[in-house]
Amino acid sequence: MVSITIRNLTKKYGNTTAVKDLNLQIKDKEFFVFLGPSGCGKTTTLFAIAGLVEADAGEIWIGDDLVTSAEQGIHKPPQEREISMVFQDYAIYPHMTVFDNIAFPLQIRKTDKNETQERVRKTAELLSITQLLDRKPKQLSGGQRQRVALGRAMVRRPKVFLMDEPLANLDAKLRVQTRTELKKLQLELGVTTVYVTHDQVEAMTMADRIMVQRDGIAEQIGTPDELYNHPSNLFVAGFIGSPEMNFIDCSLIEEKGKLSLDTKEFSIPLPNETSSELRNYTGMELIMGIRPEDIYESKFAEESKKEYAVRVTLDLIEPVGPFLLLHLRAGRIPLVATVKDTRVKAGQQVIMEIDPSKIHIFDKKTTKAIV
Amino acid sequence: MEGEELRFPKPRRIVLYTLLVVLVFAFLLPLWTAVTTSFKSAQDIIYTVPVEPPLSPTIEPLLTAFSLMQGPLLNSLIFTVVAMILSCLLGSINGYVLTKIKFRGANTIFLLLTIGIFIPYQAVLVPLVLTISRLGLYNNIFGLILTHTTYGITITSLLFRNFYGLIPDSLIMAAKTDGAGTWTIYRRIILPLSLLEFVVAGVLQFTSIWNDFLFGVVLARGSEALPASVQLANLKGTTEVAWNIQMAGTLWYALPVLIIYLVLGKYLIRGYMAGAIKG
Repeated sequence: MVSITIRNLTKKYGNTTAVKDLNLQIKDKEFFVFLGPSGCGKTTTLFAIAGLVEADAGEIWIGDDLVTSAEQGIHKPPQEREISMVFQDYAIYPHMTVFDNIAFPLQIRKTDKNETQERVRKTAELLSITQLLDRKPKQLSGGQRQRVALGRAMVRRPKVFLMDEPLANLDAKLRVQTRTELKKLQLELGVTTVYVTHDQVEAMTMADRIMVQRDGIAEQIGTPDELYNHPSNLFVAGFIGSPEMNFIDCSLIEEKGKLSLDTKEFSIPLPNETSSELRNYTGMELIMGIRPEDIYESKFAEESKKEYAVRVTLDLIEPVGPFLLLHLRAGRIPLVATVKDTRVKAGQQVIMEIDPSKIHIFDKKTTKAIV
Repeated sequence: MEGEELRFPKPRRIVLYTLLVVLVFAFLLPLWTAVTTSFKSAQDIIYTVPVEPPLSPTIEPLLTAFSLMQGPLLNSLIFTVVAMILSCLLGSINGYVLTKIKFRGANTIFLLLTIGIFIPYQAVLVPLVLTISRLGLYNNIFGLILTHTTYGITITSLLFRNFYGLIPDSLIMAAKTDGAGTWTIYRRIILPLSLLEFVVAGVLQFTSIWNDFLFGVVLARGSEALPASVQLANLKGTTEVAWNIQMAGTLWYALPVLIIYLVLGKYLIRGYMAGAIKG
């Protein structure tokens, strides 16, 4: 059982707070991703778990082992935490062969020579780099170096893997391929893994759970599905998903006991089941969020047929491959929709339907999600 | 290709090469003079101009000079090599600590170290002699080792600090998470990666310690610890000037530095380039 518990973690660099009062529980065998833009504190949090930076406040537990406690003055150095780490630039020792690189953590611990040999060989086999063992890092490609770094992290069988954007320096094709392999490997080894990335696709595809961080604060912690379908605030809603969610300023109006969102250009009636919680927000400034795939081209030519249909102008079609990206305009409000196919051409008008059950509503002031 | 062969060099080239040849002669002239004079007997020196070859070449002056210089040469070799190794090692450790272990006051310490480079030798002579005598190291080879090591640390620390600044921090962090402590990281990662820098700093230290005259002349009087540089000055004699012995002594004195440059020149240039390419 290797869970990681972080309590009230704070880390400051001079006047800037990199991590602010973070609380987090990472479960045993979980693939946990820290996601956020650069400078959000994700790497600092990872380094704090690794023991590479000292916390200014708070506690970190790895399993039953209290490794960091600013209050009790505990700061175990990295070599006393049973972690291993993969760095963005791989940090392979340039003067050692691949074998020595992978064997390094074992040699440091004075592991028996035969056992070292055996374990390095097995690790290399698992990563299919056996033929590279005698080479120097200079002679390796980016992808091969990445594998060596992984091998070095795995060979010791640590309690926790920490990964700092390990795929960021690979080219696009290799990144997707390695992403899958890495996820498989983690499932196979069953080692609790903390993974830092700024790439939301990477986070969504690999993670069991994700923490979205911004300015040192955890904006939301949840499964990829929760983050995608129930973002708790505007930032998460905008950060997760590509193309980005549409955000439209609107206000809530009540007519004959029925609620609808009014955007000045069009209004969308809300389903009855959501109405009760929303009533308090009548008249307040809100933001409506709708994902591009939740806007469809209507089968009807007349907008009056459906009350949540909107007449828009199609500005531009971008064929992405699996779908078309439609850049639309409802009056002055720009909208992006993804559709499989369309009969309309750029410059023409078209009726689009917005799925009312897929609408997210945010409070403009607090940026928090309401529904 | 044919056009290339037939083409006459441009006038600018001709001027350039002429100038270079003249300069080569100018620079080689003193060395040439030293060599010719070393092979001349006392008589030949009177009958010939210094640049002329000897009338009847003899190796007598070289042998005499060697017998006079061998003790001091050995002294110099010992304290130069020991002080070079010590100052490089300590400078390398300083550079590692100053760049890779973040601690409060690191920059202040580095500043103080750097100031050391700019203190002229003459300014410290009196306190130096007093300190060395109090330590009982006056006229002792250890006194010279201590002095040269201490003085060398400033410049070697600067060199190694700049070099280690080029080694990515992630390498150190990786070693830490792999389980290595501060000293193991130095021994297994930092040291093997800085071999070329050791050549650069080592050659610099060897040359400057070997060529030092001032510390040698104030810290060693007798024969036990006398450096070659001081003995070379003594060769000029008191009543008559034995040019041939002096020149032969100079050749012996220049030999170790010459050998070092010939043997290590390749690595020296690579060491200089290592910084240039990465930076």
